[in-house]
Amino acid sequence: MSRKLTRSLLYWLFLSPLVVVILFPFGVMFVTAIRPRDEIFTYPPTWGFSEFRWTNFSEMWVKTNFGGALMNSIYVSVLATAIALLLAIPAAYAMSRYRFAGKGLYRNFLLMTQMMSPIVLVLGLFRLMMAMGLVNDLNSLVVTYAAFNLAFTIWMLQSYFNSIPRDLEEAAWIDGASHLTSLVRIFLPLAVPAMVVAAIFTFINSWNEFVLALTLMRSSEDFTLPVQIYAQVAGRYQVEWHHVMAGTVLATVPVAIVFSWLQRYLIRGMALGAVK
Amino acid sequence: MQKSIPLLMIVPSLLMAMAIIGYPILDLAWTSSQEVSRFGKLTGFAGWENFAEVFGDQLFWDSLWRTGIWTFFVVVGTLAVSLPVAIILNDDFYGRGLARVIIMLPWSVSLTMTAVVWRWALNGRAGLLNATLMDIGIIDQPVEWLATASTAFVVEILVGILVSIPFTTTILLGGLSAMPQDTYEAAMVDGASGWHQFRYITLPLMKPFINIAIVLNVIYVFNSLPIIWVMTEGGPANGTDILVTYLYKLAFRFGQLGKAAAISLIMFGVLLVFTLLYVALVSRGEEDAAPEDEKEA
Amino acid sequence: MSSVTIRGIRKKYGSMDVLHGIDLDIRDQEFVVLVGPSGCGKSTLLRMIAGLESVSSGDIMIGERVVNDVPAKSRDIAMVFQNYALYPHMSVYENMSFSLRLRKQAKEMIDRKVREAASILNLTSYLERSPRQLSGGQRQRVAMGRALVRDAQVFLFDEPLSNLDAKLRVVMRTEIKALHQRLKTTSVYVTHDQIEAMTMADRIVVMNAGRIEQIGTPLQLYDTPANLFVADFIGSPSMNVLPGTLRAEGGAVWVEIADGLRLPVPAAHAARAGQKVVFGIRPEHTLLADAGSGIPLEVEVVEPTGANIQVYAKIGGAHLCAIFTDRHEFRPGDLIHLAFPEAKIHLFDAASGMRL
Repeated sequence: MSRKLTRSLLYWLFLSPLVVVILFPFGVMFVTAIRPRDEIFTYPPTWGFSEFRWTNFSEMWVKTNFGGALMNSIYVSVLATAIALLLAIPAAYAMSRYRFAGKGLYRNFLLMTQMMSPIVLVLGLFRLMMAMGLVNDLNSLVVTYAAFNLAFTIWMLQSYFNSIPRDLEEAAWIDGASHLTSLVRIFLPLAVPAMVVAAIFTFINSWNEFVLALTLMRSSEDFTLPVQIYAQVAGRYQVEWHHVMAGTVLATVPVAIVFSWLQRYLIRGMALGAVK
Repeated sequence: MQKSIPLLMIVPSLLMAMAIIGYPILDLAWTSSQEVSRFGKLTGFAGWENFAEVFGDQLFWDSLWRTGIWTFFVVVGTLAVSLPVAIILNDDFYGRGLARVIIMLPWSVSLTMTAVVWRWALNGRAGLLNATLMDIGIIDQPVEWLATASTAFVVEILVGILVSIPFTTTILLGGLSAMPQDTYEAAMVDGASGWHQFRYITLPLMKPFINIAIVLNVIYVFNSLPIIWVMTEGGPANGTDILVTYLYKLAFRFGQLGKAAAISLIMFGVLLVFTLLYVALVSRGEEDAAPEDEKEA
Repeated sequence: MSSVTIRGIRKKYGSMDVLHGIDLDIRDQEFVVLVGPSGCGKSTLLRMIAGLESVSSGDIMIGERVVNDVPAKSRDIAMVFQNYALYPHMSVYENMSFSLRLRKQAKEMIDRKVREAASILNLTSYLERSPRQLSGGQRQRVAMGRALVRDAQVFLFDEPLSNLDAKLRVVMRTEIKALHQRLKTTSVYVTHDQIEAMTMADRIVVMNAGRIEQIGTPLQLYDTPANLFVADFIGSPSMNVLPGTLRAEGGAVWVEIADGLRLPVPAAHAARAGQKVVFGIRPEHTLLADAGSGIPLEVEVVEPTGANIQVYAKIGGAHLCAIFTDRHEFRPGDLIHLAFPEAKIHLFDAASGMRL
């Protein structure tokens, strides 16, 4: 038996408890989502069930207004991502390419905003949105999510921008390109991968946000997915757990797949952007 | 003109962050000095009244104490699991790609959803955790995990650790992958064993990353609302309340805006301290990397 | 094609002076090499000519036009970068034609020029490849091709060969020189490698710490270095330098170095008797002499290169290198005697380092 094989077995043995605990909630989710309603509260509790009840999903979709919440989540996440990117690209470019007065200050300010969690500011934000008449308006979430994701997006982009050699732009200038032309034809095409990755992470963050959505959206037709699912659990005497779990499956799995595919970029972004 | 170009480029993001993150802080400071009516209307200047009220409130002190315990155990527990996991994931073995994906999985799921699923899995009557533990014979009958504050809090800390592992592992992996390979080769040539390599090379070189992971985790965990809020809402009988849940109840259940604002400011102060600590850590790392920056310029 | 004139150029980064007033006239069609140790300001000067660095004071003229405030894109220059700076998302053809496309030239015209340049540089069969798929030498050629299609007033080269391996560097050196002889475009070439400078340049500008040490043809710099810095920088192995005091007595003039050894120098220096000086002799100019007439040295290390042998020996507490093309069987510890022909001796003032 090769050394690598022994090592692999040993490692997997060590990781297995953690792997089980991580996969456990996913198992719970699926098994509850697809079992018939009257097999949910069996005693003693058991993993087994009699049949796959796929209609739980369509039932849930209609009864809980899942589609509406889904649209809200998409609207908020897409717009927040677009705004965050639009503001972050020039800022990241400036941070990566220019020396200017106040650069260090701006950097520390960004760090500060990255550390501020919504919960500490939630009361102030609520009063701000109240004053602007934006409570119960999805756009209030759009701007707050964009703002809270700015710092991370700028780090991500800046670290990638730093890896695009400056002399490519210089070569373009010497070839006769204006700053704008070299930006559009040389720099931005090379920065596309970073922009895609940064966009997806901002999207996922917005998709998953809870505290602000819970606070700023007071009526059920404005709920985003996390709040909508939470609302079916909180303060109810009878919870339709098979619907709740069906909802979490639908809200979670697509994001988890995209995320799994992208997680290696995160390691790079963390190592270069936020840490260094 | 040339000089103002970079400034023009950062101004939009600066304004945005100022408005959404800067302004609310000022508003909180203002609110914390105001007297508030039963219906949440600000009725006049109250000086330090709200702070005095907060400091005279036993629930505040209990929540503060619990916040300390919550933060400490989640951060320490997370690090204890993440460090060996990161070292394993940095090594070459069969199925490493799959292992990485699985370990990172909890990160992609919102805390809210995770907490909802656990709330159901821990259900005292029909929860599947009970089913599992009964199947393998650890318990004979279902346990009401969330019914008493002490067990609920322990369970919440464990879930807290679980969801913090991916982020922490990622930072540590970032550090490990930046580790110079030739240092290890030199150590091997010098006759260092695996343990020695870990103790005298990996650990010292990893220290900045461990520090940063600790500080960032402290900040995130200290601020984390969804897990406790969704699983127990700080109950039963305020027995699992931490500062954020208590603050949220004061503000949006009981309408005690002044008091809630005061607690927010106190938390802001704590965060500020940790942020400065983080900035210090990061800029120290930057000085080390400075020669490289010069080369670029 | 056009001349480049530099008048009193200074460059400051904050309070740091990188260039302290440079004056330089580069003639039309000339190939000028800026050489010096890293940090001497040669690259900064080149980038100022290119328009990539601002000018703190002084004037840069290309032809008759002062270009201080002309942006890089309008200076009509071409530049080859150290890391080639090929656009990674474009094919070789697109890389080479980018500048022409920006100028909105006719398609047939662009195609003709790119193919012409490609055939000069042996790139014709690589035109559709992306830079990723090319070897280092080929990338280097594409970078040159990008400059070639332009018919620019001036070519600028920023250490273009430093990323190539030693063999390829020699080949490309010759190619660039041949190319210049054919096109005659005014060229400014930056390198830290004195051999590159010597082999390629019409004139060399030796720079150090933000100043020009000497300007001249390769042979002028080799034969009559203006100061100790140039003497040391040009030539490999470096010139031997031995500090001592100038003495004159009864028609004989010599430099007395440590241990009282006397190194004869031309009688013309008699007037300077008593002055502290540095005696210089290139390793390849030392001659073997008889025990009676030569200066005695103890052999320390012998390095045969095949073409010659390099002998490192101890002389009066100092060390000296001698090169012989004849094969001698020296061993460490042997005593040898050397003579230094008067015509090949260099003398420098010890305090100022200037040539005497």
